[in-house]
Amino acid sequence: MRRIVLTLAMMMALPAVIPAAAYAVDAPVFTSWGGSTEAMQARNWLEPFTKKTGIPVLKDGPTNYGKFQAMVESGNVAWDVVDVEADFAAKAARDGLLEPLGLPASDLMQIDPRFVSPYSVGSFYFSFVLGYANPQGPHPANWREFFDIAHFPGKRALYKFPSPGVLEIALLADGVPPDQLYPLDLDRAFRKLDTIKSAIRWWSSGAQSQQMMAAGSVTAGMFWNGRLRALQEGGVDVGISWEQNITVADMLVIPRGARHADVARQLIGYAISAAPQAAFAHMTGYAPINLASLALMTPEDRMAAPQAHADSHIDPDIAYWAAHHDEIARRWYAWQAE
Amino acid sequence: MLLSFENLGPWRIALGIIAALVTAFLVCPLVLIVMLSFDSSPWLVFPPPHWTLRWYRELFTDPDWLGSFMVSLEVGLTVTVLSVLLGLITAIGISRTRTAWRPACETAFLMPMILPVVVTAIALYAFFLRIHLNGTFCGFVIAHLILALPFSVGAILNGLAHIDPAIENAAVLCGSSRTYAIMRITLPSLRPALFSAAIFSFLASWDEVVVAIFMASPSLQTVPVRIWGNLQQDLSPVIAAVSTVLIVLSGLFIFGANFMKSEKK
Amino acid sequence: MSIFPTRRLRVARGPWLESYGLLLPGLIFLAVFFVIPLCLMLMLSFTVPSLGLEHYRTLFFTSAYRRIFANTFLLATLVTAVSLALGLPVAWFLAIAPRRWSQPVQLVLILSMWTNLLARTYAWVVLLQDTGPINQTLLALHLIAEPLPLMNSLFAVTVGMTYIMLPFVVFPLRNRIAMLEPALFQAATLCGASRMTSFRRIFLPAIATTLGSAGVSVFVMSLGYYVTPSLLGSESRMVLAELIAQLVQSVLDWGLAGAAALVLLVMTLFLYGVQRRLNRQPHTTP
Repeated sequence: MRRIVLTLAMMMALPAVIPAAAYAVDAPVFTSWGGSTEAMQARNWLEPFTKKTGIPVLKDGPTNYGKFQAMVESGNVAWDVVDVEADFAAKAARDGLLEPLGLPASDLMQIDPRFVSPYSVGSFYFSFVLGYANPQGPHPANWREFFDIAHFPGKRALYKFPSPGVLEIALLADGVPPDQLYPLDLDRAFRKLDTIKSAIRWWSSGAQSQQMMAAGSVTAGMFWNGRLRALQEGGVDVGISWEQNITVADMLVIPRGARHADVARQLIGYAISAAPQAAFAHMTGYAPINLASLALMTPEDRMAAPQAHADSHIDPDIAYWAAHHDEIARRWYAWQAE
Repeated sequence: MLLSFENLGPWRIALGIIAALVTAFLVCPLVLIVMLSFDSSPWLVFPPPHWTLRWYRELFTDPDWLGSFMVSLEVGLTVTVLSVLLGLITAIGISRTRTAWRPACETAFLMPMILPVVVTAIALYAFFLRIHLNGTFCGFVIAHLILALPFSVGAILNGLAHIDPAIENAAVLCGSSRTYAIMRITLPSLRPALFSAAIFSFLASWDEVVVAIFMASPSLQTVPVRIWGNLQQDLSPVIAAVSTVLIVLSGLFIFGANFMKSEKK
Repeated sequence: MSIFPTRRLRVARGPWLESYGLLLPGLIFLAVFFVIPLCLMLMLSFTVPSLGLEHYRTLFFTSAYRRIFANTFLLATLVTAVSLALGLPVAWFLAIAPRRWSQPVQLVLILSMWTNLLARTYAWVVLLQDTGPINQTLLALHLIAEPLPLMNSLFAVTVGMTYIMLPFVVFPLRNRIAMLEPALFQAATLCGASRMTSFRRIFLPAIATTLGSAGVSVFVMSLGYYVTPSLLGSESRMVLAELIAQLVQSVLDWGLAGAAALVLLVMTLFLYGVQRRLNRQPHTTP
């Protein structure tokens, strides 16, 4: 009997002994979406930051809004800097899930004012563009033709999640002028989407969208511009139409109650400065949110990034999205499931 | 003559064909993964335009992947040890419970295996956040132990059912203490059951992804968590290389187990 | 899932601590790290954002959610049916075929079972895509004019999950068939019964409980499955487990997620009860 008690006691003690040293690294945690974008953020922002300041930064991910919310509400926050979508950043700020950034004015001077708020600042920005196969032959060249399955047959790749993009292009294709998009006419947008519903292939990650295009599963789609550029560089024959491209930023935020909020501010300040932004843009084809970065980029990089097509771009109304996200999300998922 | 293969007549052919087709169905994906891991195209194009070892090079030079194998192994082995110990005590306890209570006890310990893992994962995550166990090695092990325990309890109970309790009782009657009788008589004959308990427990942790996604932290990324992240974001052929390594590992293990079994005979 | 033996040990009574006491550590562990977390989560369905049964009303009376229930049952039924239909002949083959033929089949079964779940699912992603080997072969043979939309469909999930569930049918059935008494079938033959008659009148009834129990196991496991449907399935065929994950991860509605979880738990428990019942029946040989 004594032995059993002893074994029991050991068992209870074991988990308490093991974890300690090896795993408990006290360092700020940067969380992003995984994949190549996160790898580039690590290489161009985190590694040089560590080299410069001597502060090690851990990576986690992918970003998961459920985890984000649960962490803040429980007061046990493992993340310090998180890359989130713009509409979530606005909504989370409203719901009190974020730490005020309080960045010094000197850090923000050169930042594109579209991507600055008291609780979040741009990470990088990209455009949802129209990508198509068969650039030499007939192909849809704008959103109206994109929805014209009769003339341009084939499957269509669209972003799976309810965020600025898909509903907007449906309305644009249906003839809504860009300056009258908001408030979104959801009935009209879903009606338009209904016309191509059976042809839609949803993608949930950049890699998946690339794979659909490379494998020929779709003939056209709405893509992140950087992913199409990577396809072209990889030798896949795809075309890009920038007409009415939708520019959206990823935002950097600090969850409320983050353990390393001060270092997090320092890290964000570094990540949005001119040189790291330019280096990131060079490797991904996305746009820097720092206006001073443009001077540091090669002409080719500037051409590949969204600001070269600013004349034809559309800025979604993030405040509208933040206010109506839940309602749109419910309807969106219900419609997808139909 | 349904139980004699020679006398099945035309049914024999039907059975053989179905068995062959199902075997092909089971083998195809495994073969495909192995082929893909040597495919030069990063977009999973099939048939492969060229052959390459690039993905294996990426895998074996990536400290993150190697670290994940270590984390999986550490979590898996810790879970195995704890699961077998706790499973053994529990199974002996259950086997001595009065008959009326026994089904209730069995059901209670089976629950984590029956209930959908998604629900367990989300519930544990929310709970661990509150008691500050999330993202710790200890939390990870506890979460996987919950899932592994039913397999271990089940395997050991199964083993106990094939042991005649009269022998243990005889030892007690002859003056041995109950503990001593368990240690010297019951445990040795339970060895095969303990072995399968260990294997099932290890696999329950090694192969688990849903709970692991929620328990993961920067320094605790098991192999399935990394594969999952990659499937969601990258679809890189490195997954094919990782999978091939995993297939080879299970193959070696099965081969080893078979070998040991035939040695014994 | 019938890994618990039906045979019972006679109770060896010792001091309290050596019988019930042994259960304590396990029970405490289970209560703290399983029961309490679950209850906390399920409670949210009644309390967030306000006290009441609002979430259950939403769940049962919204057509989109009702469709998700239907999808879940349809998928579980299909997977169970296909697994049984394929598993029975294979189990039979394994039980009676000569070793040199049965052993390779068994090794393949074990190998596939032990291969990482994600790796297996990933293989199906590649196999079933528009430009995957299956479509390319069919195209090359001119059997189809354009690729079949195999991926992200009910078909894909059914195939992927059958692949995973097959061993759970094959092994219990093989063990059961191996236990059957050959004399019975010899007697039937002597009495002039055809193979079909023996199959229907003796074979099937003898393995019926095992078949039923394996079927319910597969059904229960399929009901709550998350990984395969989320990787191979489509939005229009979403299942309950995916809904729960989606509600927590992107809609941030923990209340509704808790309600969906509770419904899933209740269904699972009910079916588990059915399976226990089946298992408890003694294997009768008519």
